[in-house]
Amino acid sequence: MKALLKYGGLALLLGATACVDVEDQPSRVQDFRVLGVATEPPELMASACEITTQTLDELSEEVTYRTLLVDPKGEGRPIQYTLWACADTEDRRCENTANRVLLSEGSTVAGELAVNVRPGASTLAEDVPLLQRVQELDPYRGLGGLRMPLVLRVQAGDEVVYAQKLMVFWCPAVEGMQVNVQPRIPGLRVDDVAWPEDAPLELRGPGPFVVTSEDVTALQETYVVPGLRLEAVTLRESWEMSWHTTLGEFAPQETGGSTFGGQEGRHRTEWEPPSGAEAQEVTFWVVVRDGRGGSSWVVRRALWSP
Amino acid sequence: MSSTLKARGALAAASLLLAVPVHAQEPQAGPPPADAAAQAQPTITKPPELVQQVEAQYPPEALAQGLTASVKLIITIADDGSVAEVLPTEPVGNGFDEAAMAAVRQFRFSPAEVDGVPAAVQVEYVYHFTLSAPVPEEGAAESEAEQPKAVLTGQLISRGSRSRVPNATVRCGDDPDAPEAMSDEDGRFTLEVPAGVCEVRVVATGFQLYQTKEELRPNETTEVNFYLAPSGGGLETVIRSERPKKEVVRRTITREEAQKTPGSFGDPIRVIQSLPGVARAPFISGELLVRGSNPGQTATMMDGVEIPLLFHLLGGPSVVNAEFIDQLDFYPGGYGSQYGRAVGGIVEVGTRKGASDTLHGSVKVDLLDAGFFLESPITDGISVAAAARRSYIDTILPAVLPQTESGTLSVVPRYWDYQVRVDFGAKRGTPNDDAEVTAGGARSSGYIMAFGSDDQLRIVSTGPETERDLELDTRTNFHRVKGDWTYRKGNMWSVFTPFVGMDRSNIDFGLARQEGRTYTLGAREVLGIELSSMLTVRTGLDLVFEHERYDVSFPAPGGIEYVPFPGAEPVGQQLEEQIALSAFDGALFLEADLQLGRFTFTPGVRGNLQSVGNTRNLALDPRLWVRYTATSRTNLKGSVGLYSQPPETFRFITLPYGNPNLSYQRAFQSSLGVEHRFTDALNVDVTGFFNRRFNNVVSPGQLVTNDGGGVFTQPYSNDGIGRAYGVEVMVKKARTSVTDKWSGWLSYTFSRAEDGRAGPRPQGGGLFGGGRAVPDDSTYGLSPWDQTHILTLVASYVLGNGWELGSRFRYTSGRPTTPLARGADLFDADRNRFNATFGPYFSARTSGFHQLDVRVDKSFQFQSWTLTAYLDVQNLYNAQNVEFVFNDYRFRREYGVPGIPILPVVGVKGSF
Repeated sequence: MKALLKYGGLALLLGATACVDVEDQPSRVQDFRVLGVATEPPELMASACEITTQTLDELSEEVTYRTLLVDPKGEGRPIQYTLWACADTEDRRCENTANRVLLSEGSTVAGELAVNVRPGASTLAEDVPLLQRVQELDPYRGLGGLRMPLVLRVQAGDEVVYAQKLMVFWCPAVEGMQVNVQPRIPGLRVDDVAWPEDAPLELRGPGPFVVTSEDVTALQETYVVPGLRLEAVTLRESWEMSWHTTLGEFAPQETGGSTFGGQEGRHRTEWEPPSGAEAQEVTFWVVVRDGRGGSSWVVRRALWSP
Repeated sequence: MSSTLKARGALAAASLLLAVPVHAQEPQAGPPPADAAAQAQPTITKPPELVQQVEAQYPPEALAQGLTASVKLIITIADDGSVAEVLPTEPVGNGFDEAAMAAVRQFRFSPAEVDGVPAAVQVEYVYHFTLSAPVPEEGAAESEAEQPKAVLTGQLISRGSRSRVPNATVRCGDDPDAPEAMSDEDGRFTLEVPAGVCEVRVVATGFQLYQTKEELRPNETTEVNFYLAPSGGGLETVIRSERPKKEVVRRTITREEAQKTPGSFGDPIRVIQSLPGVARAPFISGELLVRGSNPGQTATMMDGVEIPLLFHLLGGPSVVNAEFIDQLDFYPGGYGSQYGRAVGGIVEVGTRKGASDTLHGSVKVDLLDAGFFLESPITDGISVAAAARRSYIDTILPAVLPQTESGTLSVVPRYWDYQVRVDFGAKRGTPNDDAEVTAGGARSSGYIMAFGSDDQLRIVSTGPETERDLELDTRTNFHRVKGDWTYRKGNMWSVFTPFVGMDRSNIDFGLARQEGRTYTLGAREVLGIELSSMLTVRTGLDLVFEHERYDVSFPAPGGIEYVPFPGAEPVGQQLEEQIALSAFDGALFLEADLQLGRFTFTPGVRGNLQSVGNTRNLALDPRLWVRYTATSRTNLKGSVGLYSQPPETFRFITLPYGNPNLSYQRAFQSSLGVEHRFTDALNVDVTGFFNRRFNNVVSPGQLVTNDGGGVFTQPYSNDGIGRAYGVEVMVKKARTSVTDKWSGWLSYTFSRAEDGRAGPRPQGGGLFGGGRAVPDDSTYGLSPWDQTHILTLVASYVLGNGWELGSRFRYTSGRPTTPLARGADLFDADRNRFNATFGPYFSARTSGFHQLDVRVDKSFQFQSWTLTAYLDVQNLYNAQNVEFVFNDYRFRREYGVPGIPILPVVGVKGSF
């Protein structure tokens, strides 16, 4: 009953909020943004939960840190970046110098930035492993894995963005645990026509254009995590996709996911260019997240004319 | 002209202005205790009778001019039968008022009794000053005796309502010496007059003069029904007096006010939002936010039994049908020891006793629902009242919802409620000498009542073009059956109120399903003894037993079963649980009224025991009220005390879904005020208050490690604290007579309310999906409901010819908001959300809220029924008020969520 009241009230408030016209929308890319962050592999899992040289080595493996930087009006301007690993998930800027380790820094341009790092091997002052500090600050004592925040600071001109991504370090605490597999979008379709990766699709008219993802049901993994009762809990991924464009906007702007009643969303959205816009090439990005740390994205282009 | 003066009085016993002791009466005068009265509406068991009448002196100047007059008076009769106060309702001038009042002050009545106890009452009295006809000549009497007689008999009925009109005078012609008859309790009269044409004159208090002609045949009986038009637009009895107050503040709303206050949709609970001490709830929500307390901390009861679910469909109409209520008592704080289970305020809904004269009823239709009310006597001493209502918006919505060929969108909200009450014992206002209810000098009366409500909401949205296939099916209902037995003997009285109940709460949402059942058994006993004129003692028990059972099946939720990862929530394995929980909450209370001169001290104490599973909670609530009667019109009052509210039973479910270690929520409440009655119509009340809440239940609680090594976030804890202080002002103008056109009130509250939690912010998530409901940078600060200034002006004006105009204007300070502090964008890549950088917690406010609501009623009176149509317009000038503030997705700008725009609602009601 109370839950019903709570969610009902929330629904009413959201309904009222929907009546307000907000100009800046997540799917409408107009300025410097970080659209997605991923690590490859998405998580590291030791072969055992005992701390041994072997398990420490397994958690110290190199990973590729990727981020999708977009800057449609930047005209190729330089973007300064700094990447830290830190210990406190609440420290969104990784400002506590005692609990952070610099992983990488430099300059890049819009597009995908990829750097190879070893966050699991990071140590703080007095050779304290950063993973140990992560565990100390974790209120759940590692039952959700050790979640090390990787914080990227990027600056393009005067615009500064901090992007936090949790890198998960596991050990097989309960039977059946498997390493996460990076989610990949199998393909996109526009008005039920395949959208090629390597060439822009020609689109004509005011829209809206129905954009869908190829079926991902078979790709969503069933996995096991340690429960808070110290028993194995079985979960099934329910991917979410966020949709972005340099022209117009998507509705809905995010698809998929599940409600608390397990009702999953379909990956279907509609892209609508603004009225009065001129013919142009439009860039689209779609970022997928699996809800356990895995993420990837695809880029598509279209030649649109009214 | 030969004339003799004659002054006559007519006691309008039927217009006893209900019921109850008057303002200035002394508390030891023996009224029913307020606590008992709060459950059982007081009944006049013995009306006063005029035993000593004093002739008024005819004003010489009026006599010289040949003037006549009828002076309407309100007489306050003390519990010993003496006249305590006389007030003219409509001064007529020419010295008549003074002459009538001087005479009436010397009257003597037999003491009236309320519920068997001598009590002060008010009566309306009309003193007629007439000039008699010349002395008849000799022989006239004989000739009159020889004239054939005729009988006129019949019944007097109120036009438009079919109510019987008692104590009316029926006569033929204007001759002061013409024979006349007084109508009885059922409005019946019999008049023996000379045969011929009778110029019928019917005079009744509260009704227009009725005139007609009847041809009366010699030695025959003519039977008639006369329909009398109520004066002043068919108003019901004006309730002028109040029960004696022990509490510092008790605000009473009559049924008339509850139905006609603009902007409330005729919803009695929403009318309470216009009273001092109540913060404005957002949008058109009926939530009661009393003196800084949070939603759910003010209890609403129907004749002493708590209403488990107050509003249909979350924020829709309240389950309290306005037709069924007699009056509402609202206690913003400092209520008596009989009340508990709340740390905010108390609303006591007094229900309506069925009519004792004949069948009455009404049918009401508006945009959302339709309902009826019926009341009728069954046999002598037994009456019944019943009401029911059902929504029909579920039949309208399919016509306006968008439909597509490939999908289905269905929204079916549906609700109904009912109330039934059967009374046993004396009719209101009549002597209770029925042998069946009287034994050994004791009197018993009682009633049985049932009420309940049912809400269903089904939402289905399916199809390939929807974001997801959604199905939500909820059903909640409750039923209560209660009894009430009032027993009086000598200086002792007892009110026993047992009740049983059943609640059901079902939710189906995709894979999540819950079936909940609650069975309730409770009783309340209040026993009072007037030990002396200085000391009255009340004691009693207040017991509730609940058994709750839940069958649930749902996907394992993050934050409770496992550590959630930010972002796309997975579908958890299906969990099945059957949970049963029994709980007992009982209280023993004791309080006494001690009269010392002008002071009345009421110390009280309430001991509370809660037992749920293995948990035992105790709370002792000492309370003290002091009242100082400075003058007959002015009282000073104050109170201090502790109050307790047990957490709901379902919160005691074992970890991680509940917390069996919860304890009573507590509050310290204090208040100090003064009330002054400027005139019979105008009252002013100024009260200051200071409240402190502690051990309140908040969600989530702290993260804890159990013995087995598991980690849980307590879903609830007793970490909640709060504080509120302020001043309330109430200026109320009542209608004193049918010719008084204005009524209304001005309510103003100046206050500060703080809320939060003691101790640190809880770690981890703790809510479904791992969400966090605690502000990041503070655990204590202004309450989200804090409003520094709350001003409400309610006015109603009777235009005549059945028209009535009402308006309500509100101004409140804006809601506290936490401003944005501009900085770099903080992107959470896993959640695909941005994090905000906020400024100081609740350091800003939205702009002030102001709104004007207007209501127009038009009544059409027909022979035996009345049709009323109304138009209720909320936000007449379409003010663009901001209810909440939200931010764009990067937290760069703030946007206001607007409140309701202009909202007209029309409705029709027919009553008979």
